[in-house]
Amino acid sequence: MRKPLLLREPSVMIFISLLAAFTLIVTVLSEGFGLGLVSTSMIKILGKTLCLCLIAIAMDLVWGYCGILSLGHFAFFGLGGYMIGMWLMYERTKDIVLGSLAGGALPATPQEIEDAIGTQIFGVVGGSEIPAIWYFADSLAAQLALVVLVPGLLALVFGWLAFRSRVTGVYLSILTQAMTLALSLYLFQNDSGLRGNNGLSGLQNLPGLTDVPQSIVSVWFFLASALALGAGYLIAAYVVSGKFGNVIRAIRDDEARIRFMGYPVEAYKLVVFTLTAVIAAIAGALYYPQAGIVNPAEIAPIASIYLAVWVAIGGRGRLYGAVIGAALVSLLSSWFTGGQAPSIPLGIYTIDWVDWWQVLLGLGFVLVTLYAPNGIGGLVDRLVRKDAS
Amino acid sequence: MLRTVYLILALSLLLVPARAQDSDLNALIETHRSDIEKPSRRTIGPVLDELVASGLPGVAVFLEHWREKKLWQRKSDGRFFFIEERDDGSIGLVDVDSGAEMGAAAKDGITNLKPNSGVRSMIASALVQFQLSDPDPQRRAQALTALERDPDASHLGVLRAAIDNETDPGLRARKERLQRSLTIQFGSDPATRVAAIESFAGDAGVDARAAINPLLATRVEVFDVIPDDLNIARVLEPGDDIAAEAAYQLLVEAGKARPIVALDARKQALIANLDDGAVGGVPVAELDTQAARDRAYQALAGAGAVPPLVTEAEQRAALEGHVFAEVYLEPDATLTAAARATLSDISSTVGFYRFIDLVLDGLSLASIYFLAAIGLAITFGVMGVINMAHGEFIMIGAYTGYVVQQVIPDYTTSILVALPLAFAVAFMAGVALERLVIRHLAHRPLETLLATFGISIALQQIAKNIFGTQARPLTAPSWLDGAWVINDVVSISHIRIAIFVLALIFLGLLLFILNRTRLGLEVRAVTQNPRMASSMGINPDRINMLTFGLGSGIAGIAGVAIGLFAKVTSELGSGYIVQSFMTVVVGGVGNIWGTLAGAGMIGSLQKLIEFFNPSNTLAAQTYMIIFIIIFIQFRPKGIIALKGRAAGD
Repeated sequence: MRKPLLLREPSVMIFISLLAAFTLIVTVLSEGFGLGLVSTSMIKILGKTLCLCLIAIAMDLVWGYCGILSLGHFAFFGLGGYMIGMWLMYERTKDIVLGSLAGGALPATPQEIEDAIGTQIFGVVGGSEIPAIWYFADSLAAQLALVVLVPGLLALVFGWLAFRSRVTGVYLSILTQAMTLALSLYLFQNDSGLRGNNGLSGLQNLPGLTDVPQSIVSVWFFLASALALGAGYLIAAYVVSGKFGNVIRAIRDDEARIRFMGYPVEAYKLVVFTLTAVIAAIAGALYYPQAGIVNPAEIAPIASIYLAVWVAIGGRGRLYGAVIGAALVSLLSSWFTGGQAPSIPLGIYTIDWVDWWQVLLGLGFVLVTLYAPNGIGGLVDRLVRKDAS
Repeated sequence: MLRTVYLILALSLLLVPARAQDSDLNALIETHRSDIEKPSRRTIGPVLDELVASGLPGVAVFLEHWREKKLWQRKSDGRFFFIEERDDGSIGLVDVDSGAEMGAAAKDGITNLKPNSGVRSMIASALVQFQLSDPDPQRRAQALTALERDPDASHLGVLRAAIDNETDPGLRARKERLQRSLTIQFGSDPATRVAAIESFAGDAGVDARAAINPLLATRVEVFDVIPDDLNIARVLEPGDDIAAEAAYQLLVEAGKARPIVALDARKQALIANLDDGAVGGVPVAELDTQAARDRAYQALAGAGAVPPLVTEAEQRAALEGHVFAEVYLEPDATLTAAARATLSDISSTVGFYRFIDLVLDGLSLASIYFLAAIGLAITFGVMGVINMAHGEFIMIGAYTGYVVQQVIPDYTTSILVALPLAFAVAFMAGVALERLVIRHLAHRPLETLLATFGISIALQQIAKNIFGTQARPLTAPSWLDGAWVINDVVSISHIRIAIFVLALIFLGLLLFILNRTRLGLEVRAVTQNPRMASSMGINPDRINMLTFGLGSGIAGIAGVAIGLFAKVTSELGSGYIVQSFMTVVVGGVGNIWGTLAGAGMIGSLQKLIEFFNPSNTLAAQTYMIIFIIIFIQFRPKGIIALKGRAAGD
């Protein structure tokens, strides 16, 4: 009789408890629900960070455990954001349009409402027709399904094409990067039906709930993100703990040997790739309503490389490492680039962190790769082992 | 008509031997004095015509002076003179006709005539015919250019007359060409016009198309029955060739059908007829569908309050009862037929040249990709490392070129200095990167990829901190400006030719280094089997370092080349990095010919896609990448795959 997952892996237990405690404390301290010590914008930053931690877990699963260095998972993240953004934007615009048409002498016909919505949304790209891909935009359930389906199918098709032709290693990384670039270039076009480089905006407003202040909405999203992160962590931990986990780790270490042992390597990789794409998409669908806007620049290949950087700094092959890396680097990034970090005067030159943070990050990352290949998680391991011995 | 009369008059004047009077020109000017004093665009035409038609020898000089505001009028009697400033500062009057001295004048006794620019341009066009036969070839060329820009029916005869005594073969060809295109536009005899049209068959010049196209201008008309005396281009079928709405609109405009009441107008009519919460008996609250609104409108129409709707059946019947046709504005069918045949011939020639142009474009893009990717191909092929900082070496090269230009102001010298210097700087940066980072990550390609990415973002930010975010210019020397123009369709800029040559040079150089030198031998040995090579006394570390330096150095040179036509920014390299990877992967790793093939394929393919969808380079790149992803399915190892042991795995 195997022990339950939570007992077998102490790190899972610890992580879930820490996450729960953190969520509870933040909620109690928030403006919307409690003491008001944590500002709404801080809640949003924390909520977004939790989503980034979730996609980092997906990245860790696909790279750290299965050895596929995907430079395209942020594309799935962005697509998830687009899918939920379509519903948010459509319904919100519909509310506004209905409000403005209500004053007319005659009640509006469905055609008039649709025309007005189209003009409102697509006026910036010189259109007024609602493209066919917005067909389901008025249905929350359908768009939620699309959050999972669209990135999932894209990952499935792309992964199937890539894995069956035995593209591995750096080739695969470049190919995923190309896919991401193609997607972002496509979305940059004005006639892509998703508002070109304007992206979808105003996503922080929930349709039909305009009376609810942002201080409350932000906490809802924070809680949802925490829940998703916890669930994602459990799923990932479950996936890597069993036989499946052993097989994908073995694929990472020696793909050819596993293939010769009779395992359908391609199928395993495809499952991991698609599953992580879906997790990434869900993370994106939670992230962008908190960010308020999603545009093609978010999908640019560089974002996906940063994702790999977070996971590498946090420590690959450890789920908590990915979380630590994503949280640490993204929070530090926003701290340094937000201009809050103190400048360092050097007499003739002053180091302004807004300008030099990227340099520090880049070089720091090189140092981590060179001297601490297991990242921060590796340090944790060493500490734990020292205690045990 | 009037012009013909003048022409005859001019000829007759020429025949009459110079009638010795006071001076014909002075007399002629005198009769138009008031018009010349206060010229306007409207009144000056006949005067100019008459002056030109007079054929008097002094007319050209007079018109030139007039245009250049060098014509003066004596206040006392209103006579026109040129003036010359004498050595003693006084002003001498010069007769407009004979050029003889006519005594001195006080400054306040004469006024300068300053025609406005509209009048001056009319004078200039009248002058053309004199200039066409001017002894100075340069002025003849200028006159031709002016004529080409602003042709006029009156110039045709003048031009024809000026062809025969043209001695310069180039100008003669231009004159004849212009004469043909003027004949097409203004010729009086259909046969010569047709001949002129047909003479342009297969000619790719823009002027040929510009001369022929107006003949094929059409307008859409609606008829009950098509009359025979019209030059019909084609009959239009409503719904297929012409949208049904547009066709019906034509009927309305021709007064053959009732106007449709637009949706919005109908809505306004409903609002205007609101009566006690209902319109035409339908309560307002129910008017939230188009069907209900139509019902209400019809009720109103039945009561005569609004114009009745035009039903679909009525529209269809109206369309069916009439014929729509495109009618040539040019009534002569032989002309339009010749024009159409010639134009289709021209368009196939133009299509051929377009293809040539496309090939040249593709070649030039391919050479850019080749330059950008070849360094990467070497490092990737020999060492199996992905260098994400490769784009930043390109950037370093471009900035090196920029800095050199700040120090050496002469563009030619600075480019000649910048090329080797960019190589040296990027070479050193590459060697440093190899020694400090990549060597320690041997056999961990994914880590190398990420570590070099770290270097890449650090280098980009450092460049941004030093040079700022705005684009820095890297100016090409003046001999690289301009383009090699083959005809109006095919042209290629000198910079692109230079880059093509540069790419060829590097192709040759690399082939030489790899196949004919000791270094190349050792590089190939390390590529195939590092351990065997090292047991043969080759130091793989040294080879790796040199290879990496070489690859980076070439990236630096590519940076200078790219900087010449693109803006030098810190993001310069990252724009090329994905394309470079694609080039290497598609071509096949570790093989110069493979990179060449990859660059050629990607470059020409991208241009081809852009050709079919010219408005959208973003889409072109998207389709390109999708194509590459599919291509990799069929040739995962690239176009030219290494075979045998060298391929490794």
